[in-house]
This record gives sequence, C-alpha cells and structure tokens, in this order.
Amino acid sequence: MDFLIDSFLSALLLIWSMDHELLVIVQVSLKVSAISTLIACVVGIPAGFLIAFRPFYGKRLLITVLNTLLAMPTVVIGLFVYAFISRRGIFGAFDLLYTQKAIIIGQMILIIPIVTTFTIAAISRIDDRYRKTALTLGANIFQTALIIIREARFGIVASIIVAFGRVIAEVGISMMLGGNAKGFTRTMTTAMALEYDKGEFVLSVALGIVLLMLSFGMNVFFNYFQGKARV
Amino acid sequence: MFFLITFKGKRECSAVLYELKNLIKTYDQRTVLNLERLSLEKNKILGLLGPNGAGKTTLLEIMAFLIRPSAGDIWFKKEMVNFTNGKLMDLRRKVVLIQQQPLLFTTTAFKNVEYPLKIRKTPRAKRERIVKELLDLVGMGMFMHASAHKLSGGETHRVAIAQALACFPEVILMDEPTASVDVENQINIERIIKEINRKKGISVIFTTHDMIQASRLADETLFLYEGKVAQSIYENIFSGHIEDDSKGNKYCVLHSGLKLLVSSKKKGPVRISIDPCAVKLNQIERDFSTHNSFKGTLLQLTNEQSKVRALVDVGIPLSVLVPKEVFKSLHLDLGEEVRLYCPEESIDVF
Repeated sequence: MDFLIDSFLSALLLIWSMDHELLVIVQVSLKVSAISTLIACVVGIPAGFLIAFRPFYGKRLLITVLNTLLAMPTVVIGLFVYAFISRRGIFGAFDLLYTQKAIIIGQMILIIPIVTTFTIAAISRIDDRYRKTALTLGANIFQTALIIIREARFGIVASIIVAFGRVIAEVGISMMLGGNAKGFTRTMTTAMALEYDKGEFVLSVALGIVLLMLSFGMNVFFNYFQGKARV
Repeated sequence: MFFLITFKGKRECSAVLYELKNLIKTYDQRTVLNLERLSLEKNKILGLLGPNGAGKTTLLEIMAFLIRPSAGDIWFKKEMVNFTNGKLMDLRRKVVLIQQQPLLFTTTAFKNVEYPLKIRKTPRAKRERIVKELLDLVGMGMFMHASAHKLSGGETHRVAIAQALACFPEVILMDEPTASVDVENQINIERIIKEINRKKGISVIFTTHDMIQASRLADETLFLYEGKVAQSIYENIFSGHIEDDSKGNKYCVLHSGLKLLVSSKKKGPVRISIDPCAVKLNQIERDFSTHNSFKGTLLQLTNEQSKVRALVDVGIPLSVLVPKEVFKSLHLDLGEEVRLYCPEESIDVF
C-alpha cells in the first residue's frame, strides 16, 4: 500500500514540476490523437451522413461491416498497416514506419468506423421534418445538411469524444507502428508500458493521472455541450 | 376567387398560381394522388378538405416542391416545374410549407425565425427588426428568447408561421394548421391566416378535416378523396359491410352496429358517405319510415350561412344540414331526442 501511495505522490510531484520528459510524451500523444481524430471526423462525419441519408445498394452490408470494424483489435490494425508501410510493403518507399504519421494512419483506421457508425446512428434518429423544414425555408442542400448535422450534434460530438478517447488510450498501434522512440513516437500508453516493464512506476502513474485528467476534461466538455445542446 | 376545376374545356389564364396535369404520386405501388387537371388561382385562401389518406399532405408537399410526383406535370405561375434540374431552390423560396406538426430547430424562437433571413444573407440589423415584427404579428413577441422546444403546440405553430413569413413567400401551404391546438390558439391562427392573406396578399392553401373551419376561412374549398378531386363533398364517412336479407334488400352494417338500407351492387366491406343535406331531421314523435329511421340525441348546433348544422348521436355522430327556417319550425333544443331519416339516395356506397 505504501508503495502505491509513494508512487502516487511522486507522480503528482512530477506533474507539478512539469517534468520535460512527461510533457514531451503528453504532447506527442495529444498531437497524434488530435490529428487522427480530426481526419477521422473529416472522413467519418460526411460518410456517416451520406450513408444515413442516401439509399443505395449494399447499405445494410456496409453498416454491418462498419459495426464489425468497431471491434477490431488495435494489434490487428497494427499488423495490417505494418504490412503496407514496412520496407517490403507497397508504401515502403515513403519511409513511414516508426513515425508519428504511421501512428496517425493506424489510429485513423481504428476510429473512422467509430465516427461513421455513431454519425449514422445520430443522423438516423433525426426527424425528417427537419430536412423538409430547412428545404421549404429556402436552404440549399449544403445548408440543409448543416441543419441536420446541427440537430444531431449531440450524437456526433459523442462520437468525436469516444473516438479521441479510444486513440489516446490505445497502445497496440502506437507500439507497433510508432516503435516507442523517445521524444518522437513515445506516447503516454507506450511510455506507461515501457516504465512498467522497467519496474519504474512513478512516470507510469503520472501518465495514468494525466490520461484520467484528460478523460475527465473531455467528459466535463461533453456535459457542458449536452446542456447547451438542449436549449 | 380561387379558381379550381377539373379542366375539360378552355384553359383559364388569369392569375393562375398552380396548374397540375395528370399528376400521379405512388408509394410502393399504392397511388396516393391522381389528379387529372387542376388549376389554382393566386392571392386567395383555399381549403383542401378530405379524410385521412385522401392525399392532402402529399399534394401540399408536391406544391411545396419537396417531393417529386411519380408522373404528370406541374406549372407554377405558368412556368413548368422541372423536378430534376436542381433549380428547385429558387421555387422553394417563393413557396413555404408549414407542416402539420411543425418542428422548430433546437434553439430559441428568435433564431428559428431569423434562419430564413440568414440564409438569404439579410443584414443583421434588418434581420433583428423583421424577426421582432413577425413575432409580434403572431403574438409571440414575449417568447422571443424562449427555447423553441419548450413552447406549447399552439405557440410552436405561431412561431412556425412567423418563420414562414420571414421567407417573404408568395404562397404559404399549411397542413392542418389547427389540428393539434386549443380553441384559443385556433382562433389566433385563423386570424393570422386571414391577416397574411388580406394584408400581405400571400396566397394560402391549407388542409383540414373540418368543414366548418373550411367554410369560415377559405374563399374556396376543394375536396380530395382517395387521391382524387371529388365532385361532391363527402361527409359522414363510415366503414361497414354489405348484407342481403331474404327479400333481396341490401343493408350496410356499420362497425357501430347501425344498419342502413342502401342501393348498391357492392358486396363485402365498403365505405359509405351520407349527404348531410339529404338527411331529414325531425321531432322524436315523427317517424318517417320503417327503414333508415333512427332515434338520436342532438349534440351540437352550428350556424353555417343559410343553414344550421346539427350533430346528432344515433350510435354514430351524424352531421345534418337543415335550412334555418326549417330548423326554427322544429323547435329543437340541445340534448333533446330527435329522429333522423336517411333516404337511400342520401347514402353513397364506395
């Protein structure tokens, strides 16, 4: 018990002293996670909107595939992307392996299905009268889509938060594609795994606290947004 | 006057708003609208009457350019509407539809009314002035900053009318504007409809089940039944089935158990319409016939131009139109027992 309390107090001290190594790890984590979430939103939200709205052949199959992808383990994505970007892979020439870009690619594959399926669910629940109201008030197709997305914003923001939470907490992709290079591709989760292997718990606990604080921050934002959305 | 006909001869050209020709709308192989020819004149109030499933909402949505007809043509102000060329937005900006249960956006009443002005790029100061004016016009000025989703049904309807007016439309289409509101809001909405037509010159086309409302509000009424324009107004519509007796007489037995002698070649399940003008109303002592003579209670009386509309409970609520002089001579009072006679020719079986 003393060991845990000691580690916890030392971790708090590490955070308080703004330890450089800790800050770099948090910065790398936030950077790759934010970029992959942003790209997943740019792809997933319009894709989810179109899938929800447009009738097309194979729509059910596509939704089933997307739902299946939600359960895809990060190590499978790691392996899959590795096969493409390793020196022997078809994108080997781009020298992407063990870079932040590689982590971002893997994380995008992980969360695009999350953002897309959550957006489909959120848009599908929106009453069709919103579409008709926007159109009859003179909105063009783009403005109508914005109205629908605005009405579904609560569900869509939930998808973004879930996606961000998923990537910032994943370890498989970051480890396999990033390589855990210090100061470059070392993220909070890979650093925690490494420190655990070394038997150094202080940095691990400190990173765990930061991760939980980020999660708490996201939930505070989510609740604030929920309140706003219900105006 | 709103000019509406099923064209058979020469074409009326003056101030025509809509012209519809061989318009058909089908959903899953079920035809919900089938209009041969129809022409509607502008600047008037038109009431579209008809029971549920008559095609009223579908017709409004086609006229609002929100859905494409399955076949046929539609002209708006003498210009043929092309539902495929992507120019519908220009037309939609001239016509606005207020749905039966309007859905306001998740924001304040003010921002809802402001939305059409915003997408038309109206300057902010002008927008604020117009929104305030419109909310005052519909009596919702004090709810300007209220959350739209916290408004009552009647208030939502009034904000939806203000939102529609913010489009500065030439035509407002209203789907059962008073269907789900209380009497006070009903009066308010009817006043607003009259005002926007008379003062702003906006053509109003509304649907309703209510004959009395239609006659009170509309310059002209059009009756739709099963997707077609009905030549006569169907009222007192009931479902039942045809039975024969041993003498070969045909009866329509309604779901309520009421049995009416009818002349029809149809068999099995049918619907009937009883012409309220042809039904005879009298004191309880008077018996007209052994057939189709029913005892009932006088439930409601309404003044309708030269006639009195009486609602009589004979096991089913039956509406009867009686000339005022005739009604006075009967000396009948509300709640009193009366006798009704429905001649065979007053019953239309379909």
